Amino acid sequence: MAFNKCARLRVFGVALSFAMSVAMADVVAVVSSKSAITTLSKSQIADIFFGKTGRWPNGVQPVPIDQAAGSAARNEFYLKVADKSAAQMKAYWSKIIFTGRGQPPQEVRDSVEMKKRVIENLAAIGYIDIDMVDSTVRVLHTQ
Amino acid sequence: MQGRGLRHDQHVEACYAASQRLCGVQVTNSADLAHSANPFERELRRLIALLLITTMSHPVEADPGTGPENSSASMFSFSGFGTVGVVHSSEDRADFTSSIFKPNGAGYTHSWSPAVDSLVGGQVIANLTPQLSAMVQAISEQNYNNTYTPHIEWANLKYQLTPEASIRVGRTVLASFLVSDSRKVGYANPWIRPPVEVYSLVPIDSSDGVDASYRLHLGQLIQTFVGTYGATSSNQPTGGNAEATHQWNISDTVEYGAATVRIAYQRADLTLDGLHTFLSGFRQFGLQGEAIADRYDPYRKPLAFIGIGGMYNPGDWFFTGEWGTTKFHSVLGESTAWYLSAGHRWAQFTPYLTYGELKANSNTSDPGLSVSTLPPFLVGPATGLNAGLNGILGSIAIQSTTSAGVRWDFMKNVDLKLQYDHTRLGAGSPGTLINLQPGFQPGGTVNLFSAAIDFVL
Repeated sequence: MAFNKCARLRVFGVALSFAMSVAMADVVAVVSSKSAITTLSKSQIADIFFGKTGRWPNGVQPVPIDQAAGSAARNEFYLKVADKSAAQMKAYWSKIIFTGRGQPPQEVRDSVEMKKRVIENLAAIGYIDIDMVDSTVRVLHTQ
Repeated sequence: MQGRGLRHDQHVEACYAASQRLCGVQVTNSADLAHSANPFERELRRLIALLLITTMSHPVEADPGTGPENSSASMFSFSGFGTVGVVHSSEDRADFTSSIFKPNGAGYTHSWSPAVDSLVGGQVIANLTPQLSAMVQAISEQNYNNTYTPHIEWANLKYQLTPEASIRVGRTVLASFLVSDSRKVGYANPWIRPPVEVYSLVPIDSSDGVDASYRLHLGQLIQTFVGTYGATSSNQPTGGNAEATHQWNISDTVEYGAATVRIAYQRADLTLDGLHTFLSGFRQFGLQGEAIADRYDPYRKPLAFIGIGGMYNPGDWFFTGEWGTTKFHSVLGESTAWYLSAGHRWAQFTPYLTYGELKANSNTSDPGLSVSTLPPFLVGPATGLNAGLNGILGSIAIQSTTSAGVRWDFMKNVDLKLQYDHTRLGAGSPGTLINLQPGFQPGGTVNLFSAAIDFVL
């Protein structure tokens, strides 16, 4: 029994430190610096990634891009914009996919590829670690 | 030419069986599949077979690291879902089922029933052009006749007119309630199954026809209008068909941040031919018999339904509730149901509580034919018909259920759920239970214990 309790505490400790390290990373939503979009609210960003937005405020059809499922950046992004866990997002998309209402965002391997795709496509919106931000991308200051 | 056509058919059928085996779907009798009574269904099955074969012979472009979710890049996307569950009921003289389309379940037929919630589904979406897509979804689950032969749940062509407007032609699942169209995707829902009080209210769940959707943004508010028109036919576990024609459904969903409110109205002309045959018997008894048949016979009778639902899901909490009522001037009666449910996520665990109620708005008994005025040789048949009528009216479901459960997201794309339901049956009513056995006491209480693993692929 004592051993069990100990093991459980250790698991909890590991989970806690993992959660904290995820929260420490700072992921920001970005578009190309050539994009006409300068600012979007948190809920506008969430709507785009939930497939609920047909057009940008300027009329262009936005192309949201996700990082790989299970990546720290993706998990933090959805916690930040919608307070949703990876499982909650998967449940959300399962509902949409299996009722034929839509498809989830395209996926890229990592932040490097994400940045490349955002720079290439003016309609694209993605998220990267704040350390990777330079003059080629624009951070969407969430309101 | 005929010979070629035949060979082609055989090829498609063989491939269909092969593709079903590959997808892990149990095929009980492939002849059953190919020679389904319904030509529409048969064509749909050919279509899904072709889509599956084409998908398999054209592997998704290899792009390591992107995985199956990167579906918009390739023409075809294949996905699947399923639930493996068992249910135990404290009432062993009747069966608990999750849907009115199932013939048996937990209690009398099985002490621990896998049939209530278990199913497996596979889906192919073909993005033919940026605007045009085709969707086919097949599900293997306990059918009305106790087989697990896969059936086509969805099969339609969708044309995206604008990013906000689309039209679908083919088979869709009716969204009478908030999660009606995704009720079989356990992973998408917080509970093991949607509350049966509300989700058993409408005896129609599908539409073969057209469906149009238009989304409107009003500042922070997103409004989605959906209209569906079609017809459907389904086999009843008790024998016979349910035929719905001139069936339309309109709904308006308003989303504001984490809040969703939805209102839906549905109408159809419904015929339940098993009950129709029984009630036609009254027509041999002159005017009083005609009056009873006209009142109760579910033959091309208009069924109307209105439902209102809401959900608030700001992150870790969820609160949801729905209310619905039916108007159906027949032996099936008219009912009103509602539920409230709430849950909270703590890391991988989401415990929830639900309360649901179902009541009848119409009479649950009828004096029937007046036997005193009948010649002696007709008294026996008339008494039999009266008993039959009152048997059906008396089985109109009245019940309330308190449920407690927990969802555990213990690994990626898989959850485990445990649920306890305590159901109080209305006085004299068997509730939603079926297969009532001698000794069954209506109006009692039933405890259910359910466990399920849900997955998505």
